[in-house]
Amino acid sequence: MEYVALTVGFIVIMAGLWAIMTRKNIIRIIIGFSIFDTGLHIVMVALAYVKGRTAPILDNTVALDDAVNLIVDPVPQALVLTAIVIGLGVTALMLIFAMKLHREKKTLDIRSFKDLKW
Amino acid sequence: MISPIHIITIGLGGAFALGFVSKKAKALTTSLMLVAIALMGTISGSWLFELLSGGTETMVYTAGFKPPYSINLLMGLNEALLTTMINFVGLLGGIYLFGNLKKAGSHAVMVFLVFIMGLNVIVMTRDAFNLFVFMEVVSIATAGLILLTETGKSVQAGFKYMMATGIVAGIFLLGVIFAYYFSGSLNIDDLAAANITAIKGGAVAVMMILVALVLELKPFPANGWALDVYEASDPGVAALISAASATAFYYVLFKVISIGNADWYNIIAIAGMITFVGSNLFGVKQDKARRLLGYSSVGQLGLLMAILGLKPYLGDKLEFIAITILVSHYLAKAGLFWLAGIIEQENIKDWAILRRKPIFLVLFGTFVFALIGFPPFPSFYGKWELILALSSAGQYYAIAFILIGSFLEGIYLFRWLGYAIKLDYTKLPEIKIEWNKVIPVAIFGVLIYVIGAYTGTQMSGLDSLCYGPLLMIPFLYAIDSLKVPIKNTIAILGVATFAARVLPGLYETDMLRFIFTFIFLVGGILTLIAGYAYKGKREGFYPVALLMFVGLALIIRASNTLEFFYGWEIMTAGSYFLIIRGKKSMPHGLSYMLFSIAGAYALLAGFGLSFAETPSIEISSLSAITSNITIIFSLLAIGFMTKTASLGLHIWLPGAHAEAESDVSPMVSAILLKAGVFGLMILMIAMGHSPEATNIGYVLGWLGAITALVGNLAAAFQEDAKRLLAYSSISQLGYILFALAMMSHLGWMTAMVYSINHFLYKAILFLTIGAVVMRVGTHYMYKMGGLIKNMPMAFVAVMIGIIALSGVPPLSGFAGKWLFYNAVLDVQWYFQGAIVFFSGIIAFLYLFKLIYSVFLGQLKDNLRHVKDISIWFAIPIYTLILGIMIFSAKPEWVLQPLGDMVSQWYPNSALSWDGGLATGPYGYWNGTGVMITVGIMFMALLGWLLLVSRKAVKVKQFNIVYSAEAPQRPETTHVSYNMFAGYNKALGWLVAPKITEFWDTMTDWVHSVAHYGRQLYSGNGQVYVTYVVAYILAIYFTMIF
Amino acid sequence: MDFDLKRLGFTLLGLLIVLNWGMLMSAIMRKVGARVARRYGIPWYQPWIDLVKNYALRSQITHGIMFYLGPVFRISGGVGLFLFMPMIIGSELWMNYSFQGDLVLLMYFQFFGMLGMALGAGEGGHPNSAIGISRGLSQFTVIEVPMTLAIISLAIQYDTLSLVDIVKAQQGGFQNWTVWTNPVATIAGMLALLGALSHSPFNLVKAPNEIPIGPPTEYHGAFLGVLRTNAAILHVVEAALFMNLFFGGATNWFEFILKTFLIYFWSVFVGVVFPRFRIEQSVAWFLKIPLVFGILAIILYM
Repeated sequence: MEYVALTVGFIVIMAGLWAIMTRKNIIRIIIGFSIFDTGLHIVMVALAYVKGRTAPILDNTVALDDAVNLIVDPVPQALVLTAIVIGLGVTALMLIFAMKLHREKKTLDIRSFKDLKW
Repeated sequence: MISPIHIITIGLGGAFALGFVSKKAKALTTSLMLVAIALMGTISGSWLFELLSGGTETMVYTAGFKPPYSINLLMGLNEALLTTMINFVGLLGGIYLFGNLKKAGSHAVMVFLVFIMGLNVIVMTRDAFNLFVFMEVVSIATAGLILLTETGKSVQAGFKYMMATGIVAGIFLLGVIFAYYFSGSLNIDDLAAANITAIKGGAVAVMMILVALVLELKPFPANGWALDVYEASDPGVAALISAASATAFYYVLFKVISIGNADWYNIIAIAGMITFVGSNLFGVKQDKARRLLGYSSVGQLGLLMAILGLKPYLGDKLEFIAITILVSHYLAKAGLFWLAGIIEQENIKDWAILRRKPIFLVLFGTFVFALIGFPPFPSFYGKWELILALSSAGQYYAIAFILIGSFLEGIYLFRWLGYAIKLDYTKLPEIKIEWNKVIPVAIFGVLIYVIGAYTGTQMSGLDSLCYGPLLMIPFLYAIDSLKVPIKNTIAILGVATFAARVLPGLYETDMLRFIFTFIFLVGGILTLIAGYAYKGKREGFYPVALLMFVGLALIIRASNTLEFFYGWEIMTAGSYFLIIRGKKSMPHGLSYMLFSIAGAYALLAGFGLSFAETPSIEISSLSAITSNITIIFSLLAIGFMTKTASLGLHIWLPGAHAEAESDVSPMVSAILLKAGVFGLMILMIAMGHSPEATNIGYVLGWLGAITALVGNLAAAFQEDAKRLLAYSSISQLGYILFALAMMSHLGWMTAMVYSINHFLYKAILFLTIGAVVMRVGTHYMYKMGGLIKNMPMAFVAVMIGIIALSGVPPLSGFAGKWLFYNAVLDVQWYFQGAIVFFSGIIAFLYLFKLIYSVFLGQLKDNLRHVKDISIWFAIPIYTLILGIMIFSAKPEWVLQPLGDMVSQWYPNSALSWDGGLATGPYGYWNGTGVMITVGIMFMALLGWLLLVSRKAVKVKQFNIVYSAEAPQRPETTHVSYNMFAGYNKALGWLVAPKITEFWDTMTDWVHSVAHYGRQLYSGNGQVYVTYVVAYILAIYFTMIF
Repeated sequence: MDFDLKRLGFTLLGLLIVLNWGMLMSAIMRKVGARVARRYGIPWYQPWIDLVKNYALRSQITHGIMFYLGPVFRISGGVGLFLFMPMIIGSELWMNYSFQGDLVLLMYFQFFGMLGMALGAGEGGHPNSAIGISRGLSQFTVIEVPMTLAIISLAIQYDTLSLVDIVKAQQGGFQNWTVWTNPVATIAGMLALLGALSHSPFNLVKAPNEIPIGPPTEYHGAFLGVLRTNAAILHVVEAALFMNLFFGGATNWFEFILKTFLIYFWSVFVGVVFPRFRIEQSVAWFLKIPLVFGILAIILYM
């Protein structure tokens, strides 16, 4: 059961990669990146999960002195938060690029942007 | 000390604070940003100073916890150095981009600051996730900077960059999280200690981390996106990406590689070498300047990656090698990108614009030579230590890859430099000088010399005198705006002072070095005298001429292979610039340089292997080598033979010598070629006594003989007087190679006599013909004719020159022929000897053609009023003639000391002297006696003719026996063009340009491979992502199997 | 070097003999050629008449200094070869100045006259001169190939490059002559001789009817006289070289005259039978059969 999240995570990563590598529309490619990132986040959280434990939030369900044994590993969850923020930044920047690319050639087909090659 | 954490606080805080400055105060914003970077640089610089002077490194723990519960930063020597470098280039890069940043406003300025700060953190952090965060920060900042100058191309490049780095970052993150899962820590040192590669999943985690870091270094072929970025972004930004980002990311791999196991070193070494070779190969076809710099950058990173991967073989030299090459790349590539931004020319052919401001050309040349690894730049020492260390470890494939990659890089860099030096720039616009852009380039240009000199002082075995004489070069450059006579006098005085200091001592102690120093330096003085004939300023001539002579002098005084190689490269650089000065010399300069580089790499490999055997770099230790003699001897011999232009390696010579200026031809022919001879002699003295060397000597003997034949035959069919002399040089050097290869007393006597004679008569001939060409304005002999009447001085000089060259008694050339016969019979090389003799007679064909077509026959109408050669040419010419006469009249004055000298290595078996009478093992010869007999006889017969023809009257040009009508047109009466047509018909097939065709085919192959190969980079960002993914999979499968 | 008057006297006497013998021999050869062609031919004293006439010619012109010096170089070459060649074995005084140099000197001294003459004729400015010289040089390069190989073969055989020693080694009966002891080298040498003496089919330097007498076209009067003088000396000296190399040398003047005559006759004999080659044919010819013999001559002694 604990591997379900992990497996799903990987499937999402693959789906994202598939979108990035095969979709021709730049917006779809960017969506692919978002999916890819989401997959990564799922994997991270899944890895931190320890069977039978609870979320690493110190409230009245978790006794402070026994917290270490009750909660799942908090570090990856913290990391995920950071990663989500970064992913947001990346996505925003990519969308800006998409906008500028569209402004240039009035198309969003990735194959039209091959002015630089060889 | 200020805590390194403040680099971050200043960077981040500064970026936030800048938001509060008025949006309108753009100049203020940008200046404040620069102050912030300067502060960051001060912190890292002070740490560098502290650590260099013995301080201890420090670890900063954020949030008050120890890892794995917090992020920690290390400030060690490496980190201090690299952050200093990053902040320094950041500061200069910011100054360079001042105008752009100001225009773009405070957001761009913040991005810039964050970019530099991010790189600092990447270098210092010891935390894997923190690394991820700042890699992403830098990545976003880079994408932002790419948009700094927004063009359609830069937007495209930026998007491709984001796609590629997005995937890479994802893989890295995945790797980090798995590594954490298996080791329970995010700290790099903990990860390394945990040795998670032993766990099945852990190995994959490590794979993902390392492959992502490798991908950040733009490995071939998954690097199309990087090339686009280099090409399309603002050159100022590209400079930062190439210098600062690359430095930081290289260091990341440097510190993180410890988490992998030994296999990873191999993978990274191979990835690096493939990148180095592959991207330099594709660069060959590139003609867009910035993209080409991109190829070069990627290639250099590949080299650095390879060095890291070869760490197990490099031992304690690793850091020296990596830093010297990294620093060279950092300075040179930033400088080149900045230059590209200043001159704003996309096509490399338009870089001739640099000549509008010659200082830019000097900077450009400096960076190019630094990238290739010439002395006195740091990369020279880095490559030297790299090859030596690899040889010691037996990594021959790595040596081959690295040298091939460097050679390919040389192809395009020197072609580019050639364009800049030679192509027409008059149609190109003026360069816009913006001081904020020029100053960074200038600073880096100076720094690369300073650091090079400093690196030199760190090398054991390199005498500080090695760069003392080099100080003459900047001095001559500084006075380059003076007129020729002043500079020429200074140059002559410089060479003469040096000669006067070394020659007397050498005469007592070392005859061999005395003779070659004499040829190099006295020859240098004589050929420099001819320079007085030039008017105006002759810009750029004196620094490079002296560079060559200094190089030659350094070769002589080298006591170890490092010094020798140092001098060899200096000499190559100087002679390259001399050769390429000729009007049509661009392609010849390039082919000279390429053969020289290839030869130099053969030498380097040879010295490396010999070091591995002994292990010592002393030249004398070459004789202690007991195994691998064949390969070492061959490599070194091939290296030297590129300079002596032996058959197969000769195709650069005719053009290079023929198109050079009038006084440069003798310098590069009579003098420079002897450097190769000297090298061969040094080699044979040390290693010639082994049976393997004797076998190779046999091959070299045949090679020399065939070179002599083909060279002379080709010379006979030339129409260009200087080309004729150039082919003649090839052939003469073939004789010398033949004679040296005998490795016997008489053989070496012959070789020495030929070397001295060739110096004398080839200098005479090239100087005279050069002087004639200056007067008549053409190289083509059939356009001359009958010049004896206008130029008696030149005629006499050429006549003496050709008599000496042909070996006709009584002049000194015969000494060589006589020794040659005895030597050939002595070693029983009958057939080779017969070929050499045959080629010696063929020499008469071209010698006659030379003197007849130019001076005899029919004078052309347009040349009726030309004057005799310049007196400044006549002075050295007649001095040399005096030398020939003395040598001819008293050969024993030269031959006896030579005999004593050669006896040190090859005991004298049979040659004995009785006054002027020499008795060899087979024959005898009295030079003085023959001279007197011939002289008396000649005078007596002349007297007889004067008596019987006293009534002879002189007649006019066309008063000749001619059927029916007088030939009024000299053009139709002067027999010159295709003079030996019948001979050509019979033997011309021997000189069909097969070797040139061979090299042309090789060139075509390289170009074709580059042409088709680089179409890999289709321009489609998605395709590039596919390459990245494929690269990851490829490495993954390599790991599995 | 001590100045030896007696030696000088003998040498000059020898030169006189050689000169007159050379003129007589050339007259005989022209006579032979004429008779083969069914003509009557010249009287035997014709060369002396020509010589006297040439020297006595009143009007003479010159094209310049080098033109003037050309014949001097040429005759110096001929006389020099004579000086460095031993003539009569067994007589110290008839050895001329052969103690100053060996075979190598002789081989290279041949060029002295050729080169000087080429320069002189070149200044004459006549195209036929230049054409003749270019042919001569071309042909000479390949003549020397079998010649050199033969000489190397002899040097190996006799272990010396001294012509005097080579001749001395052949004394004591004709069975000791090189022609018997080293026939292959002799063949190579004798084939080379055909070219060296420039009779048909190798007479393309002066090539009558084609480039009328080639290099000396512009020379006349005393200049031509000097050249004719040289030709007479040179023919004998060349024959003497081959005599010394292959046919045991000469111990007296009678033997000398007989042997040089026969050697010279060999080239005339070939010459009256074969027509002239073109230059590329001549060049190619010497690099075929004579070259093979030359190589064989060395292989046999290696």
